[in-house]
Amino acid sequence: MKALDITVSPAPHCHSGARITGVSYNFILALIPAMAMGAYYYGFDAIRVIAASIASAMIAEALIQSVLRRPITIADGSAAVSGLLLALILPASVPLYLVVVANFIGIIVAKQCFGGLGANPLNPALVGWAVIRITKAWAGYLDFDLALINYETGFILQYPLAVLKAEGPAGIAHFGLMDLFLGKQAGGIGSSAILCLLVGGIYLVLRGTIRWEIPASFLLGVVVIAGIFWLRNSSNYASPIFHILAGNVMIGAFFLSTDNATSPVNRWGMVAFGFCCGAMTVVLRAWSVYPDGVIFACLLMSLFVPLLDKMKKKQLLPPAVSPVTPQAISESAEVRSAS
Amino acid sequence: MGLRSFFGILPPKLYYKDVSAPIEALPVPEKITLLWYRRTHSDLAVRVGTKVETGQDLARNGRGPFVSTVTGRVEEASTFLGVDSREYLAVQIRADQKDSFDPSVTSVAGLSETQPQTLRTGVNRAGFTALRSIIRDPRVWPTVDCLIISALDLDPFSIVNQQTFRDNPEQVEAAIELLARTTEASQCVLAVPDNLADIASKVSTGAATVAMVPPVYPNGLPEILAKKYGAGLLMKTYDAGFAGNTVVVSLEHALAMVNSLQSGRPMLEKTVTLSNGQDGKLRNFRVRIGTPVGEILKRASVEVQPKGKLILNGIMRGYSCFSDEQPITATTESVHVQSPSEVFFFQNTQCTNCGKCNSICPVDLEVNILGRLSEYGIFNKCRGLGVENCIECGLCAYVCPARRPLVHFMTLAKQGIKTVTDEPANMEEALACTACGPSCPAIRLFDFDTESDKEDSPKV
Ligand code: SF4
Ligand code: SF4
Repeated sequence: MKALDITVSPAPHCHSGARITGVSYNFILALIPAMAMGAYYYGFDAIRVIAASIASAMIAEALIQSVLRRPITIADGSAAVSGLLLALILPASVPLYLVVVANFIGIIVAKQCFGGLGANPLNPALVGWAVIRITKAWAGYLDFDLALINYETGFILQYPLAVLKAEGPAGIAHFGLMDLFLGKQAGGIGSSAILCLLVGGIYLVLRGTIRWEIPASFLLGVVVIAGIFWLRNSSNYASPIFHILAGNVMIGAFFLSTDNATSPVNRWGMVAFGFCCGAMTVVLRAWSVYPDGVIFACLLMSLFVPLLDKMKKKQLLPPAVSPVTPQAISESAEVRSAS
Repeated sequence: MGLRSFFGILPPKLYYKDVSAPIEALPVPEKITLLWYRRTHSDLAVRVGTKVETGQDLARNGRGPFVSTVTGRVEEASTFLGVDSREYLAVQIRADQKDSFDPSVTSVAGLSETQPQTLRTGVNRAGFTALRSIIRDPRVWPTVDCLIISALDLDPFSIVNQQTFRDNPEQVEAAIELLARTTEASQCVLAVPDNLADIASKVSTGAATVAMVPPVYPNGLPEILAKKYGAGLLMKTYDAGFAGNTVVVSLEHALAMVNSLQSGRPMLEKTVTLSNGQDGKLRNFRVRIGTPVGEILKRASVEVQPKGKLILNGIMRGYSCFSDEQPITATTESVHVQSPSEVFFFQNTQCTNCGKCNSICPVDLEVNILGRLSEYGIFNKCRGLGVENCIECGLCAYVCPARRPLVHFMTLAKQGIKTVTDEPANMEEALACTACGPSCPAIRLFDFDTESDKEDSPKV
């Protein structure tokens, strides 16, 4: 046959048009309201942290990829997203060198050393945050009560979860639930803008960028476990609504735990993952030394992802083949002639 | 091909086309090519230069049937290496315009009282029909729990069976009756796409129940029909025998089979849908089996542009050919032409673990893991995850945002399992498979610069 100058490739011969960049840009788009809220309350400081964080994450990725002689993939936007997420859970006053260090550790150690996008077992933004949090000299910068002391925002600049830890449910009575919902609470640049995050999260779910099972079961986990605590002893533990509206739960449910690489992909695995994240969040809030537990819960559960992904019906091997032997032929002929 | 909606929470839906296009008959071409899978010269009863008649069995005694679809002279018989590293045979016949039928081919007398085994022998001899691959020896016949006659097509861009149903609703009953007897199936189903409900309501179907099937890909694939509307498992033949409990026959093949048994003539013609990306128009053509696809393109004045693509058997499961001399076979359903701008290139990126492929896979495989395992040649683990159940529907690769060639990986894994029995020791051999088909001149899997390898494409 005469070959024409045409293209040959394996099936299928068309594509839905989805791209990795689409995923990243949707994330950024969904986070714009939360960013705007942070910029509105904390002004230039917030913009400074966000810009520095995105830039340093992208620089870190480009740098390590050029050192390792791998293709440079900062254009896919995944580094920008993880830089942005890190910025949104930090207070606006955090020194820039910390932002840069956290991003470099997150991107280089937690992401690229494991093989880059999709192969990282832990979310780079969360690893960066955790490094600051557990380093003694730096942990103070993440104490929202101290960090936000110089800002004038028009609402009480006390970190609700820290108050809960120190004084119990009696102390949080002056936080209006509506204020919390509208984002009038001390916290990270974007992580306290609950309403904005909810809108962005629902947008992501509808676009199919994140899988709805994870946020839904995350919130369910928080409500169920906090509800159990609360019903048993409401003078010691806060109500489930408060747990959902305060701290990082909303950003955790929709943006941190749903990171593709560090969450399961099979339905029941996702449900178990989300529920355990939510449950662990409440447990850490109630019993650990840290006021909030979302990030540690996400990090911890990410380690169980390979295991959780095994929660799936086992695939069968192909069926046994009945052979065509001379014996089978004569047998079936006998059967047929007899009937 | 903007088939994706803005809201991605639901998986994208590929609808079968709901259009009617009259079937245009093409004259017998000057030259036809008949393909015979896994055979060599020694299986042939004819030589170059032999004169053959329409319907004549070209196979050496007992190895056939391998039926000539035209009257003419054998011009060339060549072998080539096929998909599974086995030899395939291509016989070219220069055709006369007038058919003279082989007198040894006669109809089965008294169809209505014939024994199933006689019917199966008739079907077997008729050559190119769907059941033939199962009826290797008409005396051995598996128990068939369910027979499905499908008026659905295999690809979103094919309307062959739909059109057959629109054109010949009155013949359906006879086909059901005869096929039910031939297969000795305990249950019969006529699968009809939802959009043809009004025709289906007028058709008398005899013993068969009618299943209305939503016209969404991959519902028309035999494996899916067997799973959803049949007894569960599509019947397939393997080297050693067969497995499964449901037989699926396309409506076109079913009618052709009835025709064959009544007239004694084998299936000589095949209807194919021609579509192209530019105007999206679908046209149906009826051609002799063995007609080069170029003839159809010429008749429809459709041209394959340089660097464009010529796809046989559909955009989802089909294969792209490198030559317009590729013949239409009894199972060719459609011809699709893409312009260079529509050609889609897979990318050599790693999986981002987004899970889109898992959630869309109709047989519920862990495609993300399988893709990675197959890429690195760990085929034994692929087997444990059930890669052999993959029906190559193409949906995983269709939705993958990383644009990985997932179907290719699945095929590779299946091929690898056959070649490599344990750890990847025989990796080289497995990777040297020719799973991308007999027609690949240069593996343009990725968007590499392939200018230089144009010259050394293999000649078939
Ligand atoms: S081609 Fe992909 S989606 Fe289709 S059955 Fe195979 S693995 Fe599943
Ligand atoms: S769709 Fe592609 S990127 Fe997503 S999990 Fe499947 S193989 Fe990986």
